[in-house]
Amino acid sequence: MDAVLLQGIANGLSLGLCYALIAIGFTLIFGVLNAVNFAHSEVYMLGAFAGLVIIQAFAPPFMAVVFLVAAVGAFLGFGLERIAFRPLRRARDEASLKSRALREATLMSSLAVGILVRELAELRFGGDMQPIPSGAMLNTPIAVGPVILTTGDFYIFGMAAAMLLLLQFLLYRTKIGLSIRALSDDLIGALYVGINTDRVIVWTFMIGSSFGALAGLMVGLYYGTIFPYMGFAPTLKAFIAMLMGGLNNIPGAVLCALLIGLSESLAPEIMPTRWVDLIAYVFLLVTLIFFPAGIFGRKAERV
Amino acid sequence: MDRLNAMARPYGVVVLLAVVLGVIPAVLAAVGLGYPFRLAQLTMIFVILSVSLNLVSGVAGLLSLGHAAFYGVGAYTAALLSTRFGTDLPVNLVASAVVAGVIGFLVAIPTIRLVRIFFAVATLSVGEIVILVITNWYDLTRGPMGVRDIPGFRVLGFDLGSPLQSYYVVAVVTLLCVWVVHRLSHSVYGNALRALREDDQAAGAMGLNVGMMKLVIFAISTALAGVAGALLAHSTNFISPDMFRLPESILILTMVVVGGLGSLPGAVLGAIILIILPELGRDFGQLRMVLVGLVLFLSILLMPKGIIGEVAAFDLLRGKPSRPKAP
Repeated sequence: MDAVLLQGIANGLSLGLCYALIAIGFTLIFGVLNAVNFAHSEVYMLGAFAGLVIIQAFAPPFMAVVFLVAAVGAFLGFGLERIAFRPLRRARDEASLKSRALREATLMSSLAVGILVRELAELRFGGDMQPIPSGAMLNTPIAVGPVILTTGDFYIFGMAAAMLLLLQFLLYRTKIGLSIRALSDDLIGALYVGINTDRVIVWTFMIGSSFGALAGLMVGLYYGTIFPYMGFAPTLKAFIAMLMGGLNNIPGAVLCALLIGLSESLAPEIMPTRWVDLIAYVFLLVTLIFFPAGIFGRKAERV
Repeated sequence: MDRLNAMARPYGVVVLLAVVLGVIPAVLAAVGLGYPFRLAQLTMIFVILSVSLNLVSGVAGLLSLGHAAFYGVGAYTAALLSTRFGTDLPVNLVASAVVAGVIGFLVAIPTIRLVRIFFAVATLSVGEIVILVITNWYDLTRGPMGVRDIPGFRVLGFDLGSPLQSYYVVAVVTLLCVWVVHRLSHSVYGNALRALREDDQAAGAMGLNVGMMKLVIFAISTALAGVAGALLAHSTNFISPDMFRLPESILILTMVVVGGLGSLPGAVLGAIILIILPELGRDFGQLRMVLVGLVLFLSILLMPKGIIGEVAAFDLLRGKPSRPKAP
């Protein structure tokens, strides 16, 4: 294989892993609530901004920034659930918890909170890209054979691997993970066996949002693009990855995120760069039409 | 409400026409000829968008997040026709409606069988695809630079470009569109759409052709959005792809939600509120979208049925509570 192709694959994998980190948050929250969290892109954006503010203020070591941003993300998830999701979940009977009206109401309330947060961020920081201190950028080149990687690539690989392992541990080895899986299997059933669903939902939001915030931090420092609208396109692509993966399926979502990342990074070889943004949307439409349950989905709940 | 009911009886229409065609232009002319008229035109264009989205999202229950894309298709059709071939407004309106409607129909064929939020996300992607195509098809659309110098309103060779004349053109088209939507949504057909919204399997079991009805209503709604786009192109003289992206779709959806999903007067009121309100706060600069987000959030939280809920809208429009009628 020639070096250009290898380079493309390397870039695609790190892009795909970023989408995967966002998609995990989406998938967790969708699994538990069956609701789309449109404010996830703002959590991602605020994660990047939080990292930037922390770096500018203290310039701490990188790992400290990572932990602080994860904490900020968890806090944002907590607040988001309180503001945009809990008030609409007043009734506890089965019909209203599963109703279409509730799903659409939470979709729109999270969308509204997202708009508010993004516009306020724009008022505060301005709409342009933020200057990033040169020492904080993760772009020191490292040659590996014919391919030139950067420190950011390694950080993203390492971080994604660590977080996927952590997620597996949380979901399959802890009590809160057991509750999350129970809720995502059957919310009413979980309620009947005495699980404190509200608490589990808050935990899910906190875990998912800290993943989203970390993804924002990594992308922001790797590509050097931190601005209020940064969340829109990547989050939409992560969402597409979730749909392609089959909604409730975290490994599926991660694989599809990698697929989208790889396609976007290899596509400029065969088509004009300006059409590359179309790829993810075309994937989505093809998936929705031909694989309505997602490529790795098990049951078709959708059609 | 009683007074409103009384108004909505036979002469409600006369009063409405008198206000839209007489009182408002008179007041606007007294205020000034430039900006107030532009604002009034913009409001009426958004009234068309809002009532057309209400038809598909409120009455038929198909949540669409890509409405602005079809508005853009209409605007580009009118702009390109009039700058390349110098066609008149009636031709452009029809062409915009047909192009937007046909694209809407074609797009709906694969996506319409998706339900609920999946349809919403599919329409969002379709909207992005349409706008990306418009942005990247340089030869046809001049890409991100947009189309400049679109001529104003011209009908049968007469130039209707002055503020007052264009106000009347937009007002007449808007009234026609609202009338069409009114006839569609307050009829047996509208009730069939409501049946789809509540339970499409039950509606299918009652003998409705569910798939075809969804396709047709989506195409009608996108065609009306195309009409709104044509009006926008001629009244602003300049369009660019950025004017038709997701924030506009969300703005239109907010109008429908604030007014009340499924309610025609609500959709009109929502459009008026969400265009005029941010203009009042224009001095605060960038607060427009903040206000949109805040209004959307508060209305979902505090008034899930909207300002004029669907049932109240029936009362308002018919002057009495709706009663099932033999078809």
